[in-house]
Amino acid sequence: MTRWSVEGLESDLDHFHLGPVDLSLDPGKVVAVLGPSGAGKTTLLRTLAGFLRAHEGRILRDGADITPLAPQHRRLGYVPQGLGLFPHLTVLRNVSYPLDLAGRRDAKWQAMRLLERFGISALASRRPARLSGGEQQRVALARALAAEPELVLWDEPWQALDLEARHELGVVIEELKSDARAPVILVTHDPTLAFSVADEFVVLRGGAVQHRGDAASLLDQPRDAFTARFVGYENVFARTALAAAAGEEFAAWLLAHSGPEGIAFPRPVLAPETGSVGRWSGTVRSVHPTPEGLAVSVRVGGQDISARASWTDGRRVPSVGGLTRLDVDEKSLRPLGNAAGPGAT
Amino acid sequence: MSDGGAGPPSWWRRHGPPWIVLQLILGGSLLLLFALPIYALFTYAPPSVIWQAATNSVVDAAVYLTLLASGVAVLAAVIFAVPLGYLLARHPFRGRSIVESFVALPVAVPHLLVGLGLFFLVLPGSPLYRFTNEIGLPIYYTIWGVILVMVFVSAPYTVLAADLSFRAVDERVLEAARSLGAGPANAFLTVTFPLALRGIVAGLLLTWARAVSEIGGILIIAWYVYPGGIYTGPTSSAISVLVYNLFQQGDLTDAAAVSSFFLLIAFAIFLAVRIGERSGWVPWRRGDLTP
Repeated sequence: MTRWSVEGLESDLDHFHLGPVDLSLDPGKVVAVLGPSGAGKTTLLRTLAGFLRAHEGRILRDGADITPLAPQHRRLGYVPQGLGLFPHLTVLRNVSYPLDLAGRRDAKWQAMRLLERFGISALASRRPARLSGGEQQRVALARALAAEPELVLWDEPWQALDLEARHELGVVIEELKSDARAPVILVTHDPTLAFSVADEFVVLRGGAVQHRGDAASLLDQPRDAFTARFVGYENVFARTALAAAAGEEFAAWLLAHSGPEGIAFPRPVLAPETGSVGRWSGTVRSVHPTPEGLAVSVRVGGQDISARASWTDGRRVPSVGGLTRLDVDEKSLRPLGNAAGPGAT
Repeated sequence: MSDGGAGPPSWWRRHGPPWIVLQLILGGSLLLLFALPIYALFTYAPPSVIWQAATNSVVDAAVYLTLLASGVAVLAAVIFAVPLGYLLARHPFRGRSIVESFVALPVAVPHLLVGLGLFFLVLPGSPLYRFTNEIGLPIYYTIWGVILVMVFVSAPYTVLAADLSFRAVDERVLEAARSLGAGPANAFLTVTFPLALRGIVAGLLLTWARAVSEIGGILIIAWYVYPGGIYTGPTSSAISVLVYNLFQQGDLTDAAAVSSFFLLIAFAIFLAVRIGERSGWVPWRRGDLTP
């Protein structure tokens, strides 16, 4: 069981600066590095893998500093974006590659066992280009694990996968976790996918860590408007915008509950027209069906609120332009910009 | 086109869009341009004369000399041009564009000037002339001179092909190899080189073709080649020079026969490389790189 930690890691790529990044990784844990394109996610992975020089900070494996080591000596299973499968080698030779390099006599046998574990032994003699996206993912993961890595780095695991393959990949990652061997750092721009597998989250923006913590801290106490929007809050209001509209009762009420940067809250449920009275009244701007019910945009006191209504209420939801009422649960309000929260780094 | 919805599909519909036909016409015209002079060569000399040329000892010596010299030129391209291509592709440095443009220059220089340049560089009696003689690599009227000219005019093709091929290798594939335990040399041998091989081979074929077709520089440095060094045959000349001599002497039939014979050899070599590629000595097929 290897423990990894990253302390104050910083690196530069052209004019992009990453860091400082701190991480601690326990065996069997999955850390998701989240962020939009250009946030520095891949730069972080490539720095950890040794392809970019860290000019500050350390990467520690069981307390030993491995920052100066060349990539081939770091014992990492790196799955780059696009997977980096060897197009000229068969699936079997791809997976046995690290074992062949190590001069293992049982390389083919071990590789075959990994193919069986991932359910792709029938593909052993094929070339990567002849595989589906999901199959390629499995080959890439089997190959990374063949090297018996002590840390798995995985760049955009869900990229270019169809829905079914995404689901399968979740199962594969769960299996990887239950192995409880190497910790996994995966990078993605899709937080909902990350929530399905990761234990800890690091949100990057412009190379800087915005948030670090578990799912609960990320969802309960998003630190700023960016993080709140990024993890899926649809109602995010900046303090300045609310202050400008404070003449309206609703805006003033939100402002009173805001943090220094503003406020976020999940979609409130529309009050059915008959029998109950919501506190706020607004005009329906649009209605879209979703599996969870109807997504309704309502303009309340000069603010556009994303709300929802169940399918059964659908008949009673006014059409666009009609009036409706809704309640925003005070407990669901998330003030933004309180730097002292546990999510702050 | 007047085909409505009801009638049978028109000729265009059945045979694809007109631009395919356009491609066939344009591409076919070029193939015709290639084929016609070759056809003229082959028909000028009757097959019996071509056969006589093939069995003539003077012609055979010239063919041997040309294949030997061009083979060494290709070997030199492997040893020197491939690493230069790799350097240009993988190590961005200040002035790389200048070096790349400079590498392409020998292709553009009129080939008589190549011979003149080498002549001025190694002027008879000059220190360099004495030096090349002392180390056993005299260039005038020797196979070394032929090889030197051939490398000069032909190696750029391999440098440029290797440069492009190495550049086309996905950096992420290399990084995957490195993190799986391959050092830089191992990653080069197991991943970069195999993936660039097809492009490099194409460059080497062009290098070989350019080498055997060279005449201008050879006329100045080694019109005739005396035995010496790695060439142990009789006094001879490169095949291009031999054909030129025959033409100058008015032996048009013989010139056509020798040319035809050498074209057959060249065609056989090209074909052999292509068939070799298909049969798997290149460790992957064209379709393997694109899903």
